[in-house]
Amino acid sequence: MELSLSADQAAILSALESLAKPYAATPTNFRGFALISEALDRALAEGGFLDVAYESDLGPVTAALVVAQLARLPYAAEVSASALVRPLLGADLPRPICLADAEAPHLPIRFLAPGATVVVLHRDRVRVFTASVKDVRKAETLFGYPMAMLVPHADRETTSREVDVSPLAVRTIWRIALAAEIAGLLGAAIDAAVAYVSDRKQFGRPLGTFQAVRHRLAEASVRAAGTRWLALKAADSGDPSDAALAAQYAQEAATGVVYDLHQFLGAMGITLEHPLHLWTYRLKALLSELGGRSAQAVDAASLIWDDAEAIGVDPHRAGGHHGV
Amino acid sequence: MKFEWADEHRAFRAAIRAFLAKNLPPDWEKLAHHGPGSAAQTEFSREFCGKLAQAGLLTPHWPVAWGGQGRDAWCQIILAEEMWSAGEPRGAQYMNVNWIGPTLMQYGSDAQKQQYLPPIARGDAIWCQGFSEPDAGSDLASLRTRAARDGDIYRIDGQKIWTSYAGLAETCFLLVRTDPDRKRGISIFLVPMKTPGITVRPIPSLIGEGDIHEVFFDAVEVPAEARLGEEGSAWDIISFSLNNERLGIPRYALARRALDRAVSILRTRGDFDRESVRAQASRAAGLCQAARLSSYSIVDQRVRGMAGTSSSSSARVATVMAERAVAEFVVEFLPDALCEADPLLKAHHQRAIVAGIASGAAEIQLNLVASDVLKLPREPR
Repeated sequence: MELSLSADQAAILSALESLAKPYAATPTNFRGFALISEALDRALAEGGFLDVAYESDLGPVTAALVVAQLARLPYAAEVSASALVRPLLGADLPRPICLADAEAPHLPIRFLAPGATVVVLHRDRVRVFTASVKDVRKAETLFGYPMAMLVPHADRETTSREVDVSPLAVRTIWRIALAAEIAGLLGAAIDAAVAYVSDRKQFGRPLGTFQAVRHRLAEASVRAAGTRWLALKAADSGDPSDAALAAQYAQEAATGVVYDLHQFLGAMGITLEHPLHLWTYRLKALLSELGGRSAQAVDAASLIWDDAEAIGVDPHRAGGHHGV
Repeated sequence: MKFEWADEHRAFRAAIRAFLAKNLPPDWEKLAHHGPGSAAQTEFSREFCGKLAQAGLLTPHWPVAWGGQGRDAWCQIILAEEMWSAGEPRGAQYMNVNWIGPTLMQYGSDAQKQQYLPPIARGDAIWCQGFSEPDAGSDLASLRTRAARDGDIYRIDGQKIWTSYAGLAETCFLLVRTDPDRKRGISIFLVPMKTPGITVRPIPSLIGEGDIHEVFFDAVEVPAEARLGEEGSAWDIISFSLNNERLGIPRYALARRALDRAVSILRTRGDFDRESVRAQASRAAGLCQAARLSSYSIVDQRVRGMAGTSSSSSARVATVMAERAVAEFVVEFLPDALCEADPLLKAHHQRAIVAGIASGAAEIQLNLVASDVLKLPREPR
């Protein structure tokens, strides 16, 4: 058990911080829902930050740390699928990598655009194709990512190819990517709210001195920390039950925290001039992925308890999930 | 960053589990249901802790000079997890080995160390902590029990309340005011509970037999040598103790075990096929996992020699959330377990109510997270 960053991990995150510095603040004239930068995207790819999972001594934990750190930027960048899911499918797949759940064909898909790689997760298989113009219907989304709808096509089975990877493995790493991204978004959104309530005065004192606000922000911080730990643990173990728990916990945390943070910012939080929405409206987009928190929870139950019981192991005494 | 246990820690956990398997009687769960402060469990703890001591598992994290093995903080939390999730067969003695002993090593006089440390290390000492008072709970610094110096003695007058284990304890780790003019003019005394003038009354409670008490001090005379450290140094000593303890009881460990037990019972009845039940079980498991990992992050800092950090409050809050979720899961889906069916679930439920109250209320922890982790401006006082 070693829960601090290794020297390599610290160096990578520090290099990432330098690279991302020009993108740490929202451009003053930006008044939109999704803030993106091609230059940032290029720099991340060229800097090798999306490829850390390929290094055996860095692996998915470092990739998850990169995902979480980049999610803290006000800019939305396609990081989590490239850094965590792509290594399972093939390094040569062109970015952005877009994740589609065959069980939920009506969900908007993050970063979907012609030329993108679309990974379709079916119950029993995983298929991949490069999106063409006719696959994509642009969406005027309220969410904080550029998103589009995948146009249904009868011939998709022939135009896509099956990848030799288990659907559970893809679902697992997707859940880890989701949880890591939520962890970063929660952290940055909480920081933004903390800055606001520390400054904004009502009744003669900062809002952040009122316990009604302090306690809920503190709980949000506890949930954000929990999300981060569950995501990193799942990235380390690669265990499907850890991943399902992480995604469930993350989506549950985000559901409550997004509401609270907007409450604390009051009317300022509903303007486009304050950047809070750049994190919270990304979080909202992530709440429905992979069926949402209830689906993760039901799946996690099967993964934790059905398997353990099926092979006659008491999860406590085996030291499996219980002993971490 | 690695979440796998080192071989040494894996072996240590296995040794504790083997010890428990060998030394807990078949009817242990029924016995443990009485609670760590009960007469039955206290009596059992004297025998059990003696065996633990002989096996080198009572104070493995203590320095070698005091009979320990100098093991790291990972071993301390592994030990605490295994004992608490087994129903705490050490009874009240967990407090001794976790923080009372280490605090005496740091601040005790030679005579105090010689008198008190060997019985703790043998597993034959019951302590209570005289902290809360009728008007000083979360606001502990407002305590009023007074110790007045009179030559070579102090005379103590006042009242403590909600004192765990006081009924059977031999010694009290007592906080008293020695300087009425300063809010922080508080000192610590090590007071034998048989000293004339001490009256203990049990308070019937929801959490088990013999757990909480009120303790009255009526002109209780103790020698000046009973004072721990200097006059007025209680806060420094207490912060050292808390730093040693930091995480408190790893309640998430028993919570997760209780959850597994509940799931197992629900499954045999066919109730675990319901998605509503499965979803809530996972939700509770996620909270247990978050509490565990948040606690481990504190242990990691300690092992690396980092000073006490604010995030231990965050781990405490996470533990309260986990304990609550499991208790609510059982109440919602398995209420009969709290009647007759299962002593483990019953015991868990009784203790769960304390999670957000003992050793600093959850709301105080939230205030600490707000101030120390988030750096929010403090409330005006």
